[in-house]
Amino acid sequence: MRRNIDIAVALGIVVALPLLLSSGSLASEVLIYALAVLGCNLLLGYTGLLSFGQGIFFGLGSYTFGLVLTRTGLPMPLALVASIILGGLAAGLVGIVSIRQKGTYFVMLTLAFAQMFYFLAYSVPSLTGGDNGLLNIPRPPLSAFGVVLWDNTTAWQFYAMVAVIFLLVFVALHRVTTSIFGRTLLAIRDNEVRASAVGYNVPRFKLLAFVLSGAVTALAGALNAMMVGVAPLANAEFHVSEMILVMTVIGGAGNLAASLIGALFYVLAADWLSTLWPRWLMLLGVLLVIISLGMQRGLWGLIEDGFLALTARFKRTGEIRVEEKQV
Amino acid sequence: MSVYLLQTVNGIGIGMLYFLLAVGLSIVFGLLRFVNFAHGVFYLLGAYFCFEAVRQGMSFWAALLIVPLFVAAVGWVAEKTLLRHVYAKPHEFHILITVGVALIIQELVIVQWGPLGDSVAVPSGLEGVVMWGDFIYPKYRLFVIAVTGGLAVLLWWVLEGTRLGSAVRAGSESPEMVSLLGINVFRLFSLVFALGAATAAIAGVLAAPIRGVEPFMGIEALAVAFVVVVVGGLGSFTGALVGGILIGVVQSVMSTLWPEGARLMIYVAMAAVLLLRPNGLLGKRG
Repeated sequence: MRRNIDIAVALGIVVALPLLLSSGSLASEVLIYALAVLGCNLLLGYTGLLSFGQGIFFGLGSYTFGLVLTRTGLPMPLALVASIILGGLAAGLVGIVSIRQKGTYFVMLTLAFAQMFYFLAYSVPSLTGGDNGLLNIPRPPLSAFGVVLWDNTTAWQFYAMVAVIFLLVFVALHRVTTSIFGRTLLAIRDNEVRASAVGYNVPRFKLLAFVLSGAVTALAGALNAMMVGVAPLANAEFHVSEMILVMTVIGGAGNLAASLIGALFYVLAADWLSTLWPRWLMLLGVLLVIISLGMQRGLWGLIEDGFLALTARFKRTGEIRVEEKQV
Repeated sequence: MSVYLLQTVNGIGIGMLYFLLAVGLSIVFGLLRFVNFAHGVFYLLGAYFCFEAVRQGMSFWAALLIVPLFVAAVGWVAEKTLLRHVYAKPHEFHILITVGVALIIQELVIVQWGPLGDSVAVPSGLEGVVMWGDFIYPKYRLFVIAVTGGLAVLLWWVLEGTRLGSAVRAGSESPEMVSLLGINVFRLFSLVFALGAATAAIAGVLAAPIRGVEPFMGIEALAVAFVVVVVGGLGSFTGALVGGILIGVVQSVMSTLWPEGARLMIYVAMAAVLLLRPNGLLGKRG
């Protein structure tokens, strides 16, 4: 029942975006960041791992996609697959080293690795274009054996493709989180010592979650590079890691539909507020403080509480009616 | 060969600044079990307050004394009004609230001083270089080594030789026990948090004439402080010292060998230490 509600919310938003927004790129941006947030949520909400290193995989996805398309003749879907695979591999590497550490130590390591990746990207300009970024990444149509299946020239055509990819990933991650694997992750989140005592190989589960998260985030990075036509050094900056994490927390950890809400809120707020007041990030800081102090389930928690209060009122009026009938 | 000697001395200078940055983070973590993601912005505030003070005609020496007190006050207020309320919550919220505070302060700095960087003049009397035979070294950097060295000794004495230090060390083992002994632990928390902010601010003031000021130097400093405590071992004074100097020397020597990759190498050094000693060079086992 719960599961269907989440998927319905995601589907509803994906369909509603073209009706509400006038810009196809803005709508695509929402879904692309939502993908990255799903990856982050899998770690924070389902495994209890707070990662400041999601920018590594986002940036790596952008670079891989750009390099494969500009340096080899491989078709676009294969470039996406290459980004996913490399993202997963990188996450495996970062994970092996950092998952051995717990709590805050782990968080510090992910941040240090994010900085490491940034300086790595900066110091190999032959691959990444250094400060300028990787330029002239094409946005090819989806084609098989020379037949164009889906044209990506307009922003809304591109949105449609991103929407399909997003929904596929969303449903897949739903199956993952409701599977036995996902339940085990929740057990680890809630009580790591107990999960390990029951016999689960906790580090292996965490590593798998990390790899999965890295792969999804890299896919988001690749789609981002495809949308804007460049893989800028900024995609590897600490700011991206922070942004993905902030979206996750604002939406609410531990619920996949909440991730979409978080990304939606952030991207639209950025779009509207940044023109009005360039320093709007300060408001995000305030929001983070508020969430830490008392709104720990994020926007999704607010929506859920509001919904419960509403249904409770309906129920109450229903009960009164029953009583009246009895009288 | 003398290039490497020069870079090693340079590295010790940078490393002592890194130590100063990391030791506050480490002590705060030891006592409060709380990684302060706003530590970098205290460094940022230190540098910018110094920049502003010098611009207003105050001498660098006065700034070096007053700015850390100001930043300590900022830290004190942040701890009293905000951070205190999340101590009982899961550690994610410790991190998120300090990230929030860091964002707010960083944006305020941009509002006040603009998004572009600026430079701070080397204080008068410390311009130029000293020469011993063929060894030439900037006076200001020697001064930084001397000041940070003195501060390291002072901090060590405070931690090991005073009543406050014993309370901090005991509190790192068990805050409940310390509070049962009649010490106001919450006041101790505020005090140590303010002290941590002050040490970061001193590092910021000292670094300003070397590297100038810019609004994103805070996050960079935070990452470096993390690397230092990860290398040295979290919660250890000597670890911060050894880690700081090691990372400073690696960065400095690498900047002659591979200038583009010097920043990268400090993270590579961190990864290498982690693979060999997961708890850092001087970290406790377990």
